[in-house]
Amino acid sequence: MKIEFRLPSLGADMESAVLTEWLKKPGDRVRQGEPLVTVETTKGLIDVESYDDGQLLEHLAQPGAKVPVGAVLARLEVEGTSRSPPAPPAPHATPAPPVPHAPPAPPAPHATPAPPAALTAELPAPAPALAAGSPEEAAAPHARISPAARRRAHELGVSLEDLERSGGGDIVHIEDVEKLAARKPAAPTDERALMRATIGAAMARAKREIPHYYLGHCVDFGPARDWLTRHNAPLPVKERLLDAVLITKAVALAAFRLEGFNGYFRSGRFEQSTAVNAGVAIAVRGGGLVAPALLDAHRKDLATLMQELSALVVRVRAGHLRSGEFTAATLTITNLGAEGVDVLYPVINPPQVAIIGAGAIRDRPWVEDGRVVVRPVLTLALAADHRVTDGRAGARFLRATADLLAQPQAL
Amino acid sequence: MEPNDIRAKLLCLLAAVAPDIDPESVDPERDLRDQFDFDSMDALHFASGVSAAFGIEIPETDYPKLASLRAAGELIEERMAPGR
Repeated sequence: MKIEFRLPSLGADMESAVLTEWLKKPGDRVRQGEPLVTVETTKGLIDVESYDDGQLLEHLAQPGAKVPVGAVLARLEVEGTSRSPPAPPAPHATPAPPVPHAPPAPPAPHATPAPPAALTAELPAPAPALAAGSPEEAAAPHARISPAARRRAHELGVSLEDLERSGGGDIVHIEDVEKLAARKPAAPTDERALMRATIGAAMARAKREIPHYYLGHCVDFGPARDWLTRHNAPLPVKERLLDAVLITKAVALAAFRLEGFNGYFRSGRFEQSTAVNAGVAIAVRGGGLVAPALLDAHRKDLATLMQELSALVVRVRAGHLRSGEFTAATLTITNLGAEGVDVLYPVINPPQVAIIGAGAIRDRPWVEDGRVVVRPVLTLALAADHRVTDGRAGARFLRATADLLAQPQAL
Repeated sequence: MEPNDIRAKLLCLLAAVAPDIDPESVDPERDLRDQFDFDSMDALHFASGVSAAFGIEIPETDYPKLASLRAAGELIEERMAPGR
């Protein structure tokens, strides 16, 4: 069948992107998961992947074009029915075994990687809150600038003072904004400001809509550290595992087994995801962060997770990610251990319902069998959505994660 | 290998780990974590690059010795010194 290939939402607050380069030309065969086109967003360059196997018929947008989320970029002939969004939500997970000590569940039957957009039919993202509460909005009553132009100015990082001056008393339209923006070469600070605005909008939405609750739990990281030291000692540097990989795997397994932390809250209800696509927050140098996903993290072994995390960081540093990584995360893990803080109280990334913060792993006094011993201690913090779970479920989730970290050889 | 060659090679490795930094701007004395927001993965990539490029072993306990460009240079000279 013929289908339209549209620009997916690559984040709750993305409105548009600039088409940078076509990676496939009309007539080319395409496979599911293969990048078709590169677009530039506030998160950097992102390769948008095909949802289907088939053939590209024609391009409907050209490099340089700014396209809104949901816009048709190309036409494809695909085999069978398309998997492209808007897709029905993924089938609900079978209830997870309630016992945290349960042995690792067998791999889920869906052995093929989840199509990038299977869980993220968030198209288009709700009109973001960029305007509400932004300085631009506050200045609105005094500026003779059309609302569309104001929004465009925000996107392009054009200041309203500059616009008012350039308007010379006339009403400022969207074209005026673009002319002014074209005269100002895009400076790195503009990109940073855009990323900051994007993060701000997502976090404002989180704080406005999600009734967060927070729990903290100290974990004896001794067994995990000892296991890692033994495991890493004979390996060349690039095959060694980081603490973060063990933490990610433990969290992913806990999220797979316990209901209410892995999935999306949309249209007034929670959808549990079958796969755990663990978003990992990665800081961008100079400010900002992105949280691309490690797909099916609960089913991958530690070496694979390490390789994938390593590759993700490389792509973030190079400013070049893939759409599936952005649209897929079903919960997020954020780790500030390297910065030396003890506890990180995170903010949920909507429409997800949970985020786990990991602080520094520090030697601390720890009581064991009535004696005080020194142990490397990790403080985990959970922020979760009260519309989905309560503190007791959250406590079980953190305890399950701690229990998993106590048996690192089983991860 | 001369210290200058080591330094040049280290700058290349640094650029591979962090393509978004300007190698000219590197302060050899300053901790890379503070200077370039290196996280543990960046540090591992740098250690891995150093180990492969200079053919030396870097156990995990030596990671702190790669904290700055100067410290890394000293570690490499020591490891590559004749008689080791």
